[in-house]
Amino acid sequence: MLRREPLLPVLVVLLLGLAVSYHGFATVANVRNIAVQASPLIVAAVGMTYVIMTTGIDLSVGSMLFLAAAIETSRAVVGGPTAVVFAVVCAAGILMGLLNGVAVAFTRVPALIVTLATMQVFRGAGGHVTGQQNIDLPANLRGIGTASLLGVPVPVLIAAAVALGSGMVFSRTTFGRYVQAVGSSPDAARNAGLPVRGVLVGTYVLAGLLAAVASLTQTARLGAVQPSIGQGYELTVITAVVLGGTSLFGGRGSIGGTVLGALVLTTVQTGLVFSGASPYVFDIVRGSVLLVAVLAAGARWRSLARAMFVPNSRRELS
Amino acid sequence: LKRFGVARCLAAVAAATLAVGACSSTTDSPGSGGSGSGGKHTIGVSFDLLNAIRQAEKSSIQKAADAAGYDVTFAVADQDAQKQASQIQDLIQTKKVDAVIVIAQDGQQIASSASLAKARNVPFLAIDRAVADQGNVTFQITGDPVADGKAVAEEFLAAAKTTPLKVLELVGGLTDQNAIGRRDGFNNALAGQPNITIAAQVPTDWNPTQALDGTSNALQKDPSINAIYVPSDFLLPSVQSALTAAGRLAPIGDPKHVFLVTIDGDQNGCKAMQAKTLDADIATPVDEFGKQSVAAITTALGGKPVTPKSVQAKGLTLNQANYATTSSQVWGCGS
Repeated sequence: MLRREPLLPVLVVLLLGLAVSYHGFATVANVRNIAVQASPLIVAAVGMTYVIMTTGIDLSVGSMLFLAAAIETSRAVVGGPTAVVFAVVCAAGILMGLLNGVAVAFTRVPALIVTLATMQVFRGAGGHVTGQQNIDLPANLRGIGTASLLGVPVPVLIAAAVALGSGMVFSRTTFGRYVQAVGSSPDAARNAGLPVRGVLVGTYVLAGLLAAVASLTQTARLGAVQPSIGQGYELTVITAVVLGGTSLFGGRGSIGGTVLGALVLTTVQTGLVFSGASPYVFDIVRGSVLLVAVLAAGARWRSLARAMFVPNSRRELS
Repeated sequence: LKRFGVARCLAAVAAATLAVGACSSTTDSPGSGGSGSGGKHTIGVSFDLLNAIRQAEKSSIQKAADAAGYDVTFAVADQDAQKQASQIQDLIQTKKVDAVIVIAQDGQQIASSASLAKARNVPFLAIDRAVADQGNVTFQITGDPVADGKAVAEEFLAAAKTTPLKVLELVGGLTDQNAIGRRDGFNNALAGQPNITIAAQVPTDWNPTQALDGTSNALQKDPSINAIYVPSDFLLPSVQSALTAAGRLAPIGDPKHVFLVTIDGDQNGCKAMQAKTLDADIATPVDEFGKQSVAAITTALGGKPVTPKSVQAKGLTLNQANYATTSSQVWGCGS
């Protein structure tokens, strides 16, 4: 387990350190607080994990989150039954993901460029729908972010269900294996007859759907849609994924690692408030965590390169 | 290969369509252009973005321009300094407007646009956000963030006369002069006050989610916090959500009430004032921005020098004591 998820001991040490250092940190209420705050990030980051596994990237996740929230509060949707509103928002997420996926899979334009463009398109569309105004969310749509079921907050239940379901898909289904194969070597996957384009579209659709689900819980927690929702969120989501051990070069990663990455980020954020750190320290720590994650990813890449290089050298010597 | 060629063509067409759409969709031009043909004068307006306060600022300019008999051509730069420079160039050179009012996305980069306006003899006015180099700026009117922060502190000092306050101070964007001014004005006025303790300072980067999480975390850390300084009304719903989750959102007079003061005077603030969950709001004088900038344009177009060249307008304090008499002057309470 430790070998598969090296971030787990990091999270445990972090939690223990903060619990010992700060009175009030190790309480049920605070654990609940951290879990609720991490939930939307976990949901969005799980979707991003699939995308990054295929050597892709989705910079539009924050804008999808905003557009989904804007659609939720639009006049045409907000008055409907709760289940219908949620279904419409999820459908919107699927469509946004489909647009990204088709553009990435059927053109040779890099995912970075495609999703950079759609990031602006989705944010602009969200601004158009909301008129850049703050819009309160009606009470019936807030439960998904604020209610509890058997004492467990609903966002936490959703995040757990998404993580478990996605983990199962990742490790036990043909689609999951295809994702890993496409990420490891797209050319080899194509030569082996795998539906590479279909897999790519599927990962972006999943990312869009999960961004919409994250939006439902996040907006419900906020109680209102605001024009700046989701701005810069892509950086936090990608940090959680990379910190969790998913390779930016594709082919390797885990849903469990991503969940741990999101929990570490949220715990650090909470710990900073408990520490009474200067507001300037927050940015330094956030940036350092991203730097550590990227350096760790680079180190793993170098290890892989070394592993590939050494046998060749030995063959040449022998 | 043929298939990829078609796909590339489609992608290029889609990108071009999006680019054209993005450029054209953000310019709103009710007037017919400049007065080069001898008609009404036209003011070109370029905003950095469009949100609730910008909508109010747009209305105040339109109202003042209508009263003075000017047309207005309006553009939004979507927080892109390059786009704003292009839009201003278009306003001056193509639409030939008679004056330009900007809310700068970047106070440094806007200098080249001011320089272009000066070269074309077009009055260039900055509102809301300060411009670094004012050499080519005809007139500038902004809020006074330090004075606003001080006005918030005065509300805290008045409340602390009866109850000691343990304060959570939210801070806006740490690279934003407005946020820093509001923080410094507040902190300097409260330095050494015995009845007020700053329990936590939490950065929000003007992000509602960070404000929500930061407030929740601070209330977990110290449940005895009984006052919160919210540096902008648009973060107020986040703070209220965090207070609701903690069972602390209660009206004034309730023992659970958390003393709250904010800045801007938007609809969020006015609603919370009416519900008596907000103690005070320092309202940005949005109407003054429109009135004084259009008056400065009239002076400049008449060939006279505009004095003073720079004005900092303090916010208007709206609290529960003066709500009935003052709310009508607050931009967010009227709509």
